[in-house]
Amino acid sequence: MKKETILPESRDTAFRDLIIRTPGGENIPTCMQCGICAGSCPVSHEMDYTPRQLVRMIQLGLKKDVLNSNTIWICTTCFSCSVRCPRGIHPTELMETLKPIAVAEGIKNKNAKFDNVFSEVIKKNGRASEFLLISKYSLSEPGMIKQAPFGLSLFSKGKLPLSIDKMENMGELDTIFKLGEKEEEKAETKKNVEGKEPIEKEKGNAEPEAEK
Amino acid sequence: MKYSYYPGCAQHGTAVDYRMSVEAVFARLGIELEEIRNWNCCGALHVDDRTTRVALSARTLASSKGLDIATPCNLCYSNLMRARTALEDSPLKSRINEALTTKYDGNTKPKHLLEVIVKDFGLAKLGEQVKKPLKIKAAPYYGCLLTRPENDFDSPENPISLDKLISSIGAEPVRYYYKTKCCGGPILITNEELALGLAKDLLVMAKDSGADCMAVTCPMCHLQLDAKQKAVEAKFNIKIDMPIIYFTQLIGLAIDIPPKELGLDKHLVSTDKLLAAIEGGKNAGE
Repeated sequence: MKKETILPESRDTAFRDLIIRTPGGENIPTCMQCGICAGSCPVSHEMDYTPRQLVRMIQLGLKKDVLNSNTIWICTTCFSCSVRCPRGIHPTELMETLKPIAVAEGIKNKNAKFDNVFSEVIKKNGRASEFLLISKYSLSEPGMIKQAPFGLSLFSKGKLPLSIDKMENMGELDTIFKLGEKEEEKAETKKNVEGKEPIEKEKGNAEPEAEK
Repeated sequence: MKYSYYPGCAQHGTAVDYRMSVEAVFARLGIELEEIRNWNCCGALHVDDRTTRVALSARTLASSKGLDIATPCNLCYSNLMRARTALEDSPLKSRINEALTTKYDGNTKPKHLLEVIVKDFGLAKLGEQVKKPLKIKAAPYYGCLLTRPENDFDSPENPISLDKLISSIGAEPVRYYYKTKCCGGPILITNEELALGLAKDLLVMAKDSGADCMAVTCPMCHLQLDAKQKAVEAKFNIKIDMPIIYFTQLIGLAIDIPPKELGLDKHLVSTDKLLAAIEGGKNAGE
């Protein structure tokens, strides 16, 4: 990997401090770069930066590179790194923390889209029906048509009911989703950045999603 | 024995076979599962907002009516366990409780059905119920979220509860390196290339260990390893033909519940050869 000098202007200490204040983030400054997270990760070979590198980048406040990395979205959430970290850092939770921040910064990809579809389905029905999820997701992902035979094989075994599974009473779910929305309002205004385009550097005043 | 039961969404869809086996086996063992009324999805791994995610599980924890909550799904279990820990933060708990009709008091204990069988019911007692010792080799597969990031009954690095369960019903748990490695299930839809590669490694490891089947505890793992196994075979041009069996289905077979009642005809990888081996009392691999 080529070595680059990190320029002072690419460092955003507000971003670093924001991440450190989120639940599970408090131990990030203690990372000693041992790499057990990267060694334990089943998918680090596909990542722009391994979990170890990502933690170092957060220490340095490299907001743009962190939020643009595919690392956050490649993570399968297996928690191998989290249970092994000798410093008590939770890289998996870190990925979860970074997802909504990246989305708020305008990052768009398949995973964010799927998560959004999933949330919308839960918000509307309270439960996730696989058929509904996949149909809605496929509307914006034409490549999903390749999965039709797979869907058919499930259907033929009675494993893909076309009916929508719903809660009897959705009242409380609305309130629950509003909890999160209230926090989003506080968060930084959304920017219009597509995919891998660099994020405008700005000394962040973003509120972490879990800030009280 | 009675639990508040949180089935999770998959039991109403792709895991209908799991559902059938849970219902048949738990009724036979006399363990009562009272389904929580009007339950909601735990959010799986796809609700990005943390407060919403914790609140979804807080509502479930609050509806336990003083009983332990039992769930068949690794994702649901993991979310309930993590929410329980997150809710030890009392400002967060109060804020979430404001949104709930039934408030969460902080005292609900979530249990995976494997824990219910292994720890609460007991394997000695299960052994007494066995009518047909299985005499097959099964690869215990725990997946990720049953033991990580937190659980109350087994080791995250080297879990053994499913191994012991397999022994107690007369089968042999094989040793292999990948029993807690990720199957790729969570990225099945959004990153199929990578997901199939993870499944391939796991299936090949289990196959090489001489297993006649893999025993699983999670609908997501089952979907990935059973329903996607053909895709793995096609992509890597290999033959695997590994039946993926829910641990409740294995128990059901051992206590002599007919395979059809356990949903064993609903798998995408045929279970016929395995069932014949069990019926014949012979090792399927021989």
